[in-house]
Amino acid sequence: MNDVNVPKVIVRREIAAPAQELFDAWLDPASLADWMRPGGKTRATVKVDPRVGGQFEIVMYADSGPVPHTGTYKEIDRPKRLVFTWNSPYALNNDSLVTVEFRPARGATEIVLTHEKLPSAEMAAAHTKGWSEILVLIGESFDKRRSTA
Amino acid sequence: MDKLLGAVSDSTRRAILARLAEGDARVTEVAAGFPISLNSVSKHVRMLERAGLVRRTVRGRDHVLSLDATPLAEAAAWIAHYQRFWEDRLEALDKFVTNKRKHPRKRKSS
Repeated sequence: MNDVNVPKVIVRREIAAPAQELFDAWLDPASLADWMRPGGKTRATVKVDPRVGGQFEIVMYADSGPVPHTGTYKEIDRPKRLVFTWNSPYALNNDSLVTVEFRPARGATEIVLTHEKLPSAEMAAAHTKGWSEILVLIGESFDKRRSTA
Repeated sequence: MDKLLGAVSDSTRRAILARLAEGDARVTEVAAGFPISLNSVSKHVRMLERAGLVRRTVRGRDHVLSLDATPLAEAAAWIAHYQRFWEDRLEALDKFVTNKRKHPRKRKSS
């Protein structure tokens, strides 16, 4: 395992379907419009240009209004690996990167999704130590302050 | 964000943050805990100040340092938001694919 250099989210899920089918669901606008909808009740409109350097736009319509998500495909290696940048109003800056890996697992596929909030490639490389450590530290300090308050 | 990451990338600076997490301290008090010069400690403290993680209050002759965890709380909030977001999306993808397999629509012949 790599050290946690920057804020990073890793999510895994095993799905009973072949890797090709799952992979294609990430690049097909009609599929994306179905499952890229937070809450399930809202709708989403999707545009994709599924080639390296191509862009996508997923607009999720929440109760509060449309929330645009955009990015650029960095790597398209069907059916193993998909890498794209991710920008949204929640992303704070424009440098977050999503890597989706599809690993065959006995009649199913394990999807491993990593979302990194990269400040820049050099900064990420320069950091050998981590976020989890510092967040634990800060958590402890909050707990202490609360208990002494 | 770069400043923040730079600030927490160094073990001495993380140790300074750990010290300040216990409570406010003068620069000299912080420095006493490290086997490096007061000058070096001051440089590290300045980096932490620039990253917004440490605040300095001048009380008479004393410079008192305190921890400000707000920038880190933002990073923690980002992580919490996207952890939930992607877990939900993969669950939705699972449902989508499972439904499609149960109720296959006509497909283009392959």
